[in-house]
Amino acid sequence: MSLPGLERWRALPVTRRRQILTPILLGIGLAFPFVTSNAGNVDAAANAFTYVLLALGLNIVVGFAGLLDLGYAAFFAIGAYGYGIAASGHLKLEWSNLWVPLEWAGQVSRLVVPGQPDTVQFHFAFWPMLAVTAIVCAVFGALFGAPTLRLRGDYLAIVTLGFGEIVPVVARNWEALTNGAQGLGGIRTPKFFGFDFGFSPYPYYFLGLGLVAAAVWISIRLQESRLGRAWMAIREDELAAGAMGVNHVHYKLLAFAMGAAVGGLGGTFYVAKLTTATPDMFTFPVSVMVLVMVVLGGLGSIRGVVMAALFLAFLQSVILQDLTEYVHALGRVVGSETLQRVELITSLELIFGLILVLMMIFRREGLWPAVRRVAALTREQQDAAPARGGAVRLSWAPAVTPGGAERPLLVIEGLRKHFGGVAAAQDITLTIRAGELVSVIGPNGSGKTTLFNLITGLVPADAGSIRLNGNEIGGLPPHEIVGRGVARTFQNIRLFNNLSVTENLLVGEHVRLEAGVLGAIFRPPHVRREERRAVEDALEVVQLFGNRLLPRLEHPVSGLSYANRRRTEIARALMTRPTLLLLDEPTAGMNPAETLELMDLLRALPGLGITVILIEHKLDVVMDVSDRVVVLDHGVKIAEGAPAHVRSDDRVIEAYMGRRRRVPA
Amino acid sequence: MSTLDVVLQQIVNGLALGMMYALLALGFTMVYGIIELINFSHFSVFMTGTFVGLVVLNLMGVTAGGRSLTGLPLIGTLAVLFVVTMAVTGVLGVLIERVCLRSLRNVPGSAPMITTIGVAFILINAMLLTWGPQTQRFPQLLPNWRWALGAAEITFKQVVLFVVGLVLMLALSHLVKRTTLGKTMRATAQDADAARMMGIDVDRVIVLTFFLGSALAGAGSLFFGLYYGFTGYYIGYTTGLRAFTSAVLGGIGSIPGAVVGGLFIGLTQSLGGQLLGVKWTDVIIFSILIVIMVFRPNGLLGARLPQKA
Amino acid sequence: MSAGGGVLLDFRDVHTYYGSLHVLKGVSYEIREGEIVSLLGGNASGKSTTMKTILGLVRPTEGTVTFRGQPIHGLRTNEIVKRGIAPVPEGRRVFPRMTILENLEMGRYTRRSEPGWDAELDRVFGLFPLLRERRHQQAGTLSGGEQQMLAIGRALMTRPALLCMDEPSMGLAPRLVEDVFDIIRAINEQGTTIFVIEQNVNMALSIADRGYVLQMGEVVLAGSAQELVENPLIQKAYLGGA
Repeated sequence: MSLPGLERWRALPVTRRRQILTPILLGIGLAFPFVTSNAGNVDAAANAFTYVLLALGLNIVVGFAGLLDLGYAAFFAIGAYGYGIAASGHLKLEWSNLWVPLEWAGQVSRLVVPGQPDTVQFHFAFWPMLAVTAIVCAVFGALFGAPTLRLRGDYLAIVTLGFGEIVPVVARNWEALTNGAQGLGGIRTPKFFGFDFGFSPYPYYFLGLGLVAAAVWISIRLQESRLGRAWMAIREDELAAGAMGVNHVHYKLLAFAMGAAVGGLGGTFYVAKLTTATPDMFTFPVSVMVLVMVVLGGLGSIRGVVMAALFLAFLQSVILQDLTEYVHALGRVVGSETLQRVELITSLELIFGLILVLMMIFRREGLWPAVRRVAALTREQQDAAPARGGAVRLSWAPAVTPGGAERPLLVIEGLRKHFGGVAAAQDITLTIRAGELVSVIGPNGSGKTTLFNLITGLVPADAGSIRLNGNEIGGLPPHEIVGRGVARTFQNIRLFNNLSVTENLLVGEHVRLEAGVLGAIFRPPHVRREERRAVEDALEVVQLFGNRLLPRLEHPVSGLSYANRRRTEIARALMTRPTLLLLDEPTAGMNPAETLELMDLLRALPGLGITVILIEHKLDVVMDVSDRVVVLDHGVKIAEGAPAHVRSDDRVIEAYMGRRRRVPA
Repeated sequence: MSTLDVVLQQIVNGLALGMMYALLALGFTMVYGIIELINFSHFSVFMTGTFVGLVVLNLMGVTAGGRSLTGLPLIGTLAVLFVVTMAVTGVLGVLIERVCLRSLRNVPGSAPMITTIGVAFILINAMLLTWGPQTQRFPQLLPNWRWALGAAEITFKQVVLFVVGLVLMLALSHLVKRTTLGKTMRATAQDADAARMMGIDVDRVIVLTFFLGSALAGAGSLFFGLYYGFTGYYIGYTTGLRAFTSAVLGGIGSIPGAVVGGLFIGLTQSLGGQLLGVKWTDVIIFSILIVIMVFRPNGLLGARLPQKA
Repeated sequence: MSAGGGVLLDFRDVHTYYGSLHVLKGVSYEIREGEIVSLLGGNASGKSTTMKTILGLVRPTEGTVTFRGQPIHGLRTNEIVKRGIAPVPEGRRVFPRMTILENLEMGRYTRRSEPGWDAELDRVFGLFPLLRERRHQQAGTLSGGEQQMLAIGRALMTRPALLCMDEPSMGLAPRLVEDVFDIIRAINEQGTTIFVIEQNVNMALSIADRGYVLQMGEVVLAGSAQELVENPLIQKAYLGGA
């Protein structure tokens, strides 16, 4: 089915589409309460906004950063109880003079009861509490997230589930704080310049609409920022993200915190409208419900998640009720007792379960995934003779090798590493001079990739030192080593598969950008400038590969040819502006023509001030491009020197071909 | 009763409970050991087992209000009850594997685990819709005999639990250690591709593991019903999380670990409940879970570390 | 070294892809009864992929693999193994928490209901006396060389028609490598056809009847072991150069 307008719509750039859609959607949202005659619908919609907020919050954690949080209701609870405790007067603390300024601001009162010590009664206003609970939730988000940092997928989920369970249990049992299982009641409703929201749904509707709009805006801004790219990189391949300079600890905690903050907003809003908070509102099924919304809509898809949340909210509040009526009527017509007694609302969790199972089996990407609409290559672009890279030039490359060529750049001494009983590196000593291109060769299992892993901090050494420009880098985490100017590619290519070429490259720029949370959300001029600059840098690097990558910039890398994937990975590493580049089998899988092309680029790199260490199996390539060759066998450096010299070295030949039998067969 | 007697009593109670958790943890850990899946639906199968048991007993004419049995009728009823219930839950487990999980076998990430959450919800809700939200009384088959153990006492129910539990565990141990089938299960758990290279039909082994594990859950479910005298659609949840903690504590994937973990958690529940109050036992157990997963994911008996990315 | 009999395994025009990577580009070779055939090549040559293709762990996009005249390239691993092909996988892959005896029992799995367990066990213990001594020891606690012995012994338990060995020298000290290759020759003299995939050219050619050299997914050299050993091109295939 292809409507005539649909094609034109899809041809519009995203910003234009947003400019058109936003006022339309806002208009609908604002008009809805006046258009519908039934106040119940407005109430249902206001409640629905809570779900949307929760879904958007979880989307940051699960969708953007890929952290499966099964205990998300905990933040809903903390937001709810946070406001509830502050606004219900349940908590009784002894009066002290600390409270005087707040009393003066009208947020607390002093309760004088004859015969007992004075107590302070809380009745904080709603609006500052929105901010306060969001911050408190953010802190708890980071707190609950911290233990999960080193865990992978399933285990991470279980730990979050644990926290998600502890919170309502604490709420149920800490009666002094929360009034236990009975819950808090009499929570004050918001007041806006003297107007009390009271129990009419209309003000809550508009407040909710505002909160949702803000959350959507924040989500979009985050997703399209340096933060969003860092999260998606972690989600796709945490190891590679670290190798590109993304500090996974920092960003995971940030994702938990931001997701929790949005959940807290939802909690505060919900409880302000409901005026009560009980522990049963925040149990595991609630966490699962929010997960169902995100899974149904599409992990990471903002519009999908919003639509799914609205749908499920209306399912609960309206659709199931109506359907039940129909089933009852059907029962009367058919004469079935059972049908007349069915209450579909009790099968809500059955529906959730079915959604989860069906989505996971048939449509893991969700119903409305954030689809990347990439125009297929035009005939022209497909047929274009691939131009080889032009003159290899990079605007940021120093004209002269800094510090002069031939000074020691990387000094490795006595490096040792054992895996179980296997010695992967045995007393390796090596000096790489600035401006060199050194190749590391050796048979399978000789420790070449281990050497790279040791240099880049992926694997800690057992002994020995690694000094870059005189500074010890052994022991530093990978993302910091990137910051020092060392970048790498991987033997079996670790790209961020679901991201486009451009997005992959921009992750490479991560270390040299500065935007933080506020910068990402508000986009002040300096952030906009650095984003523009980043895109320009990406274009520049891409042109090193002629027009091979240029027409495919917006394509997801999973669809690229093997050779193009290799090129993208090298380009991504170059985006970090390294002084030392480690390439692990860059020509593997390339045919001879592609290999020759890449060799041109490799030869040119030292001239750009980039020292290169190359692991290669194609010894023709090695002989051609290298200044020096180092040979490893069983973790030991067995030879080092000029290429031709090394190739005819007996020890090297024996390492590759095996020792001749001592006793002839 | 002196403190020592109270402690002794709680130890007896805790060990009895621990047997139930151990049985539940065993089935769970066996599945994890073979396909590295955290199977949430396992505990809903457990819950469903109690209802299956109810139906079986009702069909045999044993109802909730009836008298307890002794001697041959008791043994006969118990035998039929256990065999039928375990068979039904076993088949349920196999169905879940075939219908929901097999197509996800090679999908990376948490999709399979999420699917089991969905299945759990479906089962829980199905039981809720069929039986209603109220607790169901479970027939008190076992007579209420008690014997003194110092100043503490041990009930006939607890003895039955110990005996049946022990028999099942010994049978499982024999199966896994001495039979060819058991060895193929161990081989598959240790290296599935190498197992294939030995000619082992890994798919069939997985189905069998699900069957056995779910059958053990069925046995555990009968323990629950016979011991506590009631059931409800919600019991899979709390009991499940405790059995899950038992498996993780003992070392997920390790069969002896599940037993050790189960007994430990059972003891924690009764002693902890005695010392700190029942309402805090959940927090204690969840905290144990979190601490183990963060600091010692291998658990006490250190099974293999998970491989999946 | 025995002369070749009828064709046991026929690997013909096989193309295999890993995603978009073309790993095997029309590889053909055959193994005749009674022979030792060696497939040689350096890193990234595609050797291990051919082993995986024979065993059904990887499916070829084009081409056929025939064993005793019957196609096996679409079958599942356990079905292929039942027909008489026994693998000694790369990295040994013994079951670490099972004893030596239990590992051997798993090796016998496809013939478990047939008589002959004792005879085969004796034969294996005869080749590897160390395994008899340690038969109740857990396989994971053995050294690399000992595990290699176990892996070979395990594969022999069904008296297979074809023994496929993937890089038996990997990770072993040179002295042990010689021992292993001596044993491979002994097994062949007892009548088993052997296919050895190896990186260690000299060792492999010292026991093989015939060999093929794989480079970047293509067969670049083939011939009798004698011919290959004397061929200067073989060094070029490994080390490149003029």
